[in-house]
Amino acid sequence: MSHVSIRRGWKAVALAAVVSLGMAACGNDASSGGSSDSGGGELSIGASLPLTGDFSEPGSAAKQGYQVWEALTNENGGLLGNQVKMVIKDDASNQNTVVTDYNALISQDNVDLLLGTFSSLLNLPASTVAEKNQMLYVEPAGGSPDMFSRDYQYLFFAQQATADKQGLVFADWVKNLPADQRPKTAAYPTLDDPFAAPNVDGIRQVLEEAGIKTVYKTTYAIDTKNFDSIVAAMKSANPDLVVHGATFEDGVSLTRAMLKSGWTPKMFYETSTPSFADQYVKAIGEENTEGVMYAVSYSPEADTPGNKEFVAQYKKMFGQDIPPEDAADAYAAAEVMQAAVEAVGSIDDQGKLADWLRANTVPTILGDLSWDETGAPESDFLIGQWQKGTAEIVLPPDVATADAEVGWHPGS
Amino acid sequence: MTELVQTLVLSLLVGGVYALVASGLTLIFGVMRVINIAHGAFLILGAFITYKLWDQLGLDPLVGVVITTPIVFVLGWVIYRLLVRPIRNAPMSSTVLLTFGLALVTEGVMGFIWGNDSKSIRPSYVDQSYHLGDIFLPKAQVYGGVLAVLILATLWLILTKTWLGRAIRAAASNPASAELVGIKVTSVAAVVFGLGLAAAGAGGAITGVLYTFVPGSHYAWIARLLAIVVLGGLGSLEGAVLSALIFGIAETVTAVYISPAWATAVPYAIVFAVLLIRPQGLLGTRLRDDAVAA
Repeated sequence: MSHVSIRRGWKAVALAAVVSLGMAACGNDASSGGSSDSGGGELSIGASLPLTGDFSEPGSAAKQGYQVWEALTNENGGLLGNQVKMVIKDDASNQNTVVTDYNALISQDNVDLLLGTFSSLLNLPASTVAEKNQMLYVEPAGGSPDMFSRDYQYLFFAQQATADKQGLVFADWVKNLPADQRPKTAAYPTLDDPFAAPNVDGIRQVLEEAGIKTVYKTTYAIDTKNFDSIVAAMKSANPDLVVHGATFEDGVSLTRAMLKSGWTPKMFYETSTPSFADQYVKAIGEENTEGVMYAVSYSPEADTPGNKEFVAQYKKMFGQDIPPEDAADAYAAAEVMQAAVEAVGSIDDQGKLADWLRANTVPTILGDLSWDETGAPESDFLIGQWQKGTAEIVLPPDVATADAEVGWHPGS
Repeated sequence: MTELVQTLVLSLLVGGVYALVASGLTLIFGVMRVINIAHGAFLILGAFITYKLWDQLGLDPLVGVVITTPIVFVLGWVIYRLLVRPIRNAPMSSTVLLTFGLALVTEGVMGFIWGNDSKSIRPSYVDQSYHLGDIFLPKAQVYGGVLAVLILATLWLILTKTWLGRAIRAAASNPASAELVGIKVTSVAAVVFGLGLAAAGAGGAITGVLYTFVPGSHYAWIARLLAIVVLGGLGSLEGAVLSALIFGIAETVTAVYISPAWATAVPYAIVFAVLLIRPQGLLGTRLRDDAVAA
């Protein structure tokens, strides 16, 4: 072999290694599906999740939720007498990749059932793939109202309320506070995101109608790094209440920017970020969490069907006492799909599964879930608050683990 | 007036860090004509190493730069020898593909080792600021900005005042002639690749304190960094510094005086506008078609 050909061979090997390692890094662990709904076989359930990229944090938690459901379902005899196998792909938080993934799950992996991905951004295109293929699509985290304005027949959202209604319990609580505690002004910074923005808008509309003046309102792009400028503007407006539409990194960054500026509002509500338990505490410091309020779909303390088993299995598999909200939401989505399959007794016509869900209420670890004609849920969301380093459920009062307290007290 | 001063101060602090990270990217291109798509991934790698040093050993993240930077330098040197050098004479698209693959692999390896959950580095001063009247100067940004300037100054001194710097500049402007006068261009290129990645690693130590990060955070960084070095002129260190400051100011001023929604778009609009007038960037020179790769 000549010197030249050796060098070419080496280049080819190097490139092949990089490409293959890159593909491995993308985290696909797909396997071929094999189906049986008559028992004794294996049912494959496909999902694509953002295991890398911007949404890797909640996407990884959602994967854990699906894995816990897979383990517990198989432990309890499977689905329609079949063992279940999750086939999970990594969409890298990319809308194009998620479409490719769901098409591949259906046409190449031949999965029997689908479960949804994380975020409205990704569920919007992914649910279209499922709809075109007439497959049930229960998704754990895509609460944008835009999801349910398309008259889809196979789409269901496995949380208590869509994004525009998730903060309404909080807004009602604020507007009914005694006059001396009620904020007079509010600011509404939000991520340009189909989940976060409607959540904040829903709260703003209620509070504006109640006479709480909006003194600052802005939307920022997903790749915003510098939040000091937003905080400088809020500091000038000096609102009593800040309602922040966030995912995780932006929520942490804005909170830290407020702390650095030496200005903090009297009350602080933030979507999503404070529900990340340990990671939230590590990111902003436990001393800065006191009084922060947020909408949340799940409580590890809740006395809902199967919740204790879920918490115990999660700890067994992943070594943590408190499952993240996104893991619980994914588990609940799988519970909803499971309930429909078991009630109908077959997966051949998935339109029947969808019809059954529209007509019935499903008990899950999040509580009872039911849906309207569009697949949008019809229940009340929970409101959480950090108190003395613990995430408590404070609203609605009938499921609260602690009383709601007025005020954010960073540094306490 | 206070708001304007506050805005400009914050802009310059952000721009200083951008300048440090972009300097490595432009240095690598200047000498090797390699567009290193993996640059953002090595910035995040620097942040992860810093996080571990802080979390496990309690080492201040900005002091940790003295450990992070050499580690990433050695890694860069090895990567050049093993992966980049064999395809140096291939078309530029090959090195883009290679470094893109390298970015994906690095992201995957970081996720495998450290997980995909978000990390935050919180030294004691992270939420504190200096206050000058109504102006606040976040301590982490001040320290990070000063450190970035120090590292940039060191890099500039290396490039302009040392034999290695002269060798690097010679290899960049005419590799064939540099070989003729005894410069081992391949060795110089390996050192430059290491230095370039080391700058990214040092930048990672600083940005890790300022922002939370996950392995996939590199995508947002590489887009920003490429825009900065293109605006400054590919291969121009001074151009990268100037461009980074412009980028930082454009982002912050837009967020304050127009809307945060436009804060990430306006700097790119400036890049387009400048390139229409000066395709080679602010301080760049037109590329020589006859340049020979090392």
